[in-house]
Amino acid sequence: MRLIVARCEVIYAGRVSSVLPMATRLIMWKSDGSIMVHSDAGGYKPENWMTPPTRIVEEDAAIIVEKGPASRVERLEIRIEEMISDSAHDMGEAARLVKDGVERDLQIALADAPQTLGEGMKLVRREYPTPIGPVDLMCIDTDGYVAVEVKRVGTIDAVEQLTRYLEYIRAEHGMEACRGILVAESIKPQARTLARSRDMDSLELNLAELRGLKEPDLKLFG
Amino acid sequence: MRLTCSRDELATKLALAARAASTKSTIPVLGQVRLTAHEGIVELAATDMELSLRVPVEATVAEGGAVVVPRLATDIVRTLANGQVEFEHRANEGVVSLSGGQSSFTLNCLQATEFPELPADDGEALSVPVAPFVTTAERVARAASRDDTRPVLTGVLVRIGPDGITMVATDSYRLAVMQTPLENPPAQTREAIIPARALQEMGRLAAAMKVESFDLILSESQAVFRIGGARLTSRLIDGQFPDYRQLIPDHFEHEVVFERAELGAVLSRIGVLAQRSAPIRLAFEPGQVTVSAVSEQLGEGHESLPVTFSGEPLEIGFNAEFLRDGVENISGDEVKLGLISPLRPGLLQSGGDDGYRYLLMPIRLNV
Repeated sequence: MRLIVARCEVIYAGRVSSVLPMATRLIMWKSDGSIMVHSDAGGYKPENWMTPPTRIVEEDAAIIVEKGPASRVERLEIRIEEMISDSAHDMGEAARLVKDGVERDLQIALADAPQTLGEGMKLVRREYPTPIGPVDLMCIDTDGYVAVEVKRVGTIDAVEQLTRYLEYIRAEHGMEACRGILVAESIKPQARTLARSRDMDSLELNLAELRGLKEPDLKLFG
Repeated sequence: MRLTCSRDELATKLALAARAASTKSTIPVLGQVRLTAHEGIVELAATDMELSLRVPVEATVAEGGAVVVPRLATDIVRTLANGQVEFEHRANEGVVSLSGGQSSFTLNCLQATEFPELPADDGEALSVPVAPFVTTAERVARAASRDDTRPVLTGVLVRIGPDGITMVATDSYRLAVMQTPLENPPAQTREAIIPARALQEMGRLAAAMKVESFDLILSESQAVFRIGGARLTSRLIDGQFPDYRQLIPDHFEHEVVFERAELGAVLSRIGVLAQRSAPIRLAFEPGQVTVSAVSEQLGEGHESLPVTFSGEPLEIGFNAEFLRDGVENISGDEVKLGLISPLRPGLLQSGGDDGYRYLLMPIRLNV
């Protein structure tokens, strides 16, 4: 993370055009390519910003940030008149947002007992990476890979999220037939319907039962 | 299309047909009712693609035709003044007009061509008496599951053959089975898993059509009920129904006989405190049973009943609603409850065997 305090003006050209006049501002330059220009007001929101993937070129008195293909490039030009402070900090491995307690615990419990998801199911890894974020569990059974997204409550949004993960995962070599399972303590009927229409399974699991704290309800058959 | 018919007749039949219309579909026409008029009869039809209903209404048809009207028409017709209802489809304006008494309504409508083609209703028919079929379905279908993650459990296994009518439903926590003999049973056995909802609608239709028997056509994928001039078509559920005969124990350690009305009343009273999934407890000891329920937040209730029970005391917990369902579906004055142990299923049946059995899994009690 690089933090620059400078007197600068910022010119944006892209979908619209804007100019921030010369003033003292904080420029946050993250290692993932994000650039944010803050003033000493305006709350948490930057005055201007560019999200990754970006192309950043640093010149003597300017930082040029570009994004997108040449045909519709977005460009942020930070013209620096006076550099007041410039420091770089190693933030280490980024800490992810802490997941909802139940989600995290379900994920851990499922990782320990993947057979709960189906006969012969084995864990490949937790937090399987995709370009848009990690899917909670990647498992495998005799029919192939299975991406598992864990939620406290299974909603339509959760199905959409798993759909997006699967799009990226299935683009990987050897993962074309990867299936998806949405696991939650309770699943909304609409989410079930949507999951079924997309050939995904949905499974309600009780965390206490999974942990073995509560014995399962007695049934006449499985 | 132009016709006149009795408000009562149209209101009753519209309400009946509209039950097959979908309340959830994003396809508008599936939430509506088609009217087809020809030669003194109007046929009302609705479908959600799983279940379809076709119900005839007697009418004076001045001009035949077909049109699809919103389900709202059901509410309008029901509230019109007693007497005759006049119905006209003005195709060039895309509306239907409905009038009765001093009231007149003009409703937007859809073309009949937009309505899906309904399944064929022909095939080898079996004539079945209404009363035993409907009674059996009513007593069994409540045990069917409402959870569509296991579709086969949302259906009722229906078997008609030399042994009469057998129906079975289970949601995996309880199982209801009933065998009803027929005066003239068919020589061949036919079997299908019919959605519980279709059987409930069939019961309503049979009551409205006031007939003694109906034609049942079971094909590979659908069941057709021809009831008087009405027809109900339902898709069948594909899958393997649990083998219910294996689930019912051959032998019980205890057989306790209750007075049905008395047990039902006790379960209703004490069941008030057995909220959510809290069990209702039955603590048996020689000569009596104490029925109790505890709610962490609300309190506790108990009531004792004299019963013929001997041997070691036994305490067992059941889902209050499921137990009440079972007791309510028993016929006659006495209920017989067969028990093995606190973690094995209990069996409810009538004191005089009427072919009905209700097997119920207990709930673990944290003593």
